[in-house]
Amino acid sequence: MIRRLGHSVFIVAGLMGLLFLAINVLGDPVELMVDEDASQETIDALRAKFGLDRPLYVRFADFYWDLARLDFGKSLRHRIDAQEMIFDRLPNTAVLALVAWAIGMLGIPLGILAARRPRGFFDRFVNILSFAVISVPQFWLALMLILVLSVQFGEYTGLPTSGFKGLGIEGWKYMILPAMALAPTVLGRNAQITRSTMIEEVAKQYVSTARSKGLAENAILYGHVLKNASISIVTLMGDELAGFMNGSTVVEIIFGWPGIGKLLIDGINARDLPIVTASVFVVALMVMVINLCVDLLYTWLDPRIAYS
Amino acid sequence: MASDMTTVAQKPNPIMAIWNHALFQAFLNDPITLFSALFLFVIVMAAVFAPFVAPYDPQNQQLKLRHLPPDIAAHPATMRVQGETLTEDRRFILGTDHLGRDYLSRLIYGGRISISVGLLGVVVSSVIGVFLGITAGYYRGILDDIIMRAVDIFMSVPLLLLALMVLFILGPSFTNIIIVFAVARWMLFCRVSRGVVLSLREQAFVDAARAIGASDGRIIGRHVLPNLITPLLTLAALEVPRNILTESTLSFLGFGIQPPESSWGLMLSQGRDYIVTAWWVVVVPGTAIFLTALSFNLFGVWMRAVSDPLQRWRWLKATKEAKEAGVN
Repeated sequence: MIRRLGHSVFIVAGLMGLLFLAINVLGDPVELMVDEDASQETIDALRAKFGLDRPLYVRFADFYWDLARLDFGKSLRHRIDAQEMIFDRLPNTAVLALVAWAIGMLGIPLGILAARRPRGFFDRFVNILSFAVISVPQFWLALMLILVLSVQFGEYTGLPTSGFKGLGIEGWKYMILPAMALAPTVLGRNAQITRSTMIEEVAKQYVSTARSKGLAENAILYGHVLKNASISIVTLMGDELAGFMNGSTVVEIIFGWPGIGKLLIDGINARDLPIVTASVFVVALMVMVINLCVDLLYTWLDPRIAYS
Repeated sequence: MASDMTTVAQKPNPIMAIWNHALFQAFLNDPITLFSALFLFVIVMAAVFAPFVAPYDPQNQQLKLRHLPPDIAAHPATMRVQGETLTEDRRFILGTDHLGRDYLSRLIYGGRISISVGLLGVVVSSVIGVFLGITAGYYRGILDDIIMRAVDIFMSVPLLLLALMVLFILGPSFTNIIIVFAVARWMLFCRVSRGVVLSLREQAFVDAARAIGASDGRIIGRHVLPNLITPLLTLAALEVPRNILTESTLSFLGFGIQPPESSWGLMLSQGRDYIVTAWWVVVVPGTAIFLTALSFNLFGVWMRAVSDPLQRWRWLKATKEAKEAGVN
């Protein structure tokens, strides 16, 4: 368990080390922060201000020390603590991700139903649907949703094209379209994996044994097969929650949803290095925590897997 | 002499041999795979021969003909050739964009970039991944540990985050997007090839090759690489649509392909502001991305199915049954 935790910390530390090296060795942090036409004095002043004139190893140690204290420095653009901005935005991304993720769970029953009769009509339908939704670019889906549900039929649905009114009751309408843009990919992938693992499991010997002792088909399917298939499904769901940054960044941009993804993109556009470092760190941390939880779930689902 | 003639005559025509092969016949009888393969063929051909296929110059602006909806009617376009103003009738099958450029031509040229990013990204990341994977699997030891630790780190970072980090540091361009895929996707190829190498190096034919004094290079080139081709091709077919989707996302966010070059993602990002007045500027490139990614995915899954002997047997049986059911 402690080894597993150490492994996670190592991964985040390694990633941040790569980021530090990439910024400081491949590039020049000051050049990343200033505009192209900045004068030499500005560059020198910034260099002194951020202590970038010190040797590399001192800065490297300093970088990790700051990360450990969650001290990312002040945002260059907003003059606010980057840490404060991150914690401000984090719940917005998390809530949106969880809502879309919960909708995406509907893919699991779809996959189970499809696996009941492989190559049947419903199976083919689910198969094609799931391939279609994982091939759609999420940002295009978002644009199409705006075009159809908000622009074309806006008077009936009353859905706003974009915006954010808090996470409370009055803001729920603003969350529908972003969640609808994010959920299908997850749904499709869940359906696919559930279907294929279920079909794989059904072919195994213990199913024949269960059938031969006269167990009802539903009892076999839900009591044995689903239980054994759940390991792959849980892995996938963890991966999806961890990978939500992929889709949510662009969806947040399109809908003006003030989450971490939008913060990161705005930070990159504004050359706001503290914000970029902070968002990357927080996302990496979230991914690490989710992966850790998935691994813990494993040991519970399959006692044969143990972390010594 | 005569006996030679007969053996030559008895040799089956290689094209007919492929045609009569069970897999090829099954492929022809599987409408979904056949259609996706045909679609990919058309798209790739259009991209390769873009200058011949595209009806007009994708950069030619006709400001008077802005945002024409898709139709087949002819519109007068003016051009200046050597100081003289000429008028030409143009048909904009997919409409025009906000600068009056022919959308079909832009789609064809944009596809050139999108598809080459998808393919080149796979080539670069697979070369790096396979090299590291073979090194790790064949030589084991500390190299293996280091490489697999690196795989763990890269695997646990969301793709877009890694891509944005790389483009933040290097700046946006076509080459840098390829670098993104090299940095962010090599691990998959590394894992697959390492797994194959690990199982191969214990096998008798590798031992035998080593016993007769074959060098490492020869063993890898002659015995390991041929066994890697099928799993890698399958993975590659599924990676191409992923790369195309990622490229379009990055270009849409403004970190990918930069104007005046164009890709499908960039077309979407430019069309986004006009979504209310001109639906086709958003619908057309998005549909192109969607159908291309879908075809690659369906084709990749088919490849995965037929490269697995057990699945191939099941699949051939099902196709045969379906065919017989159709005949009766």
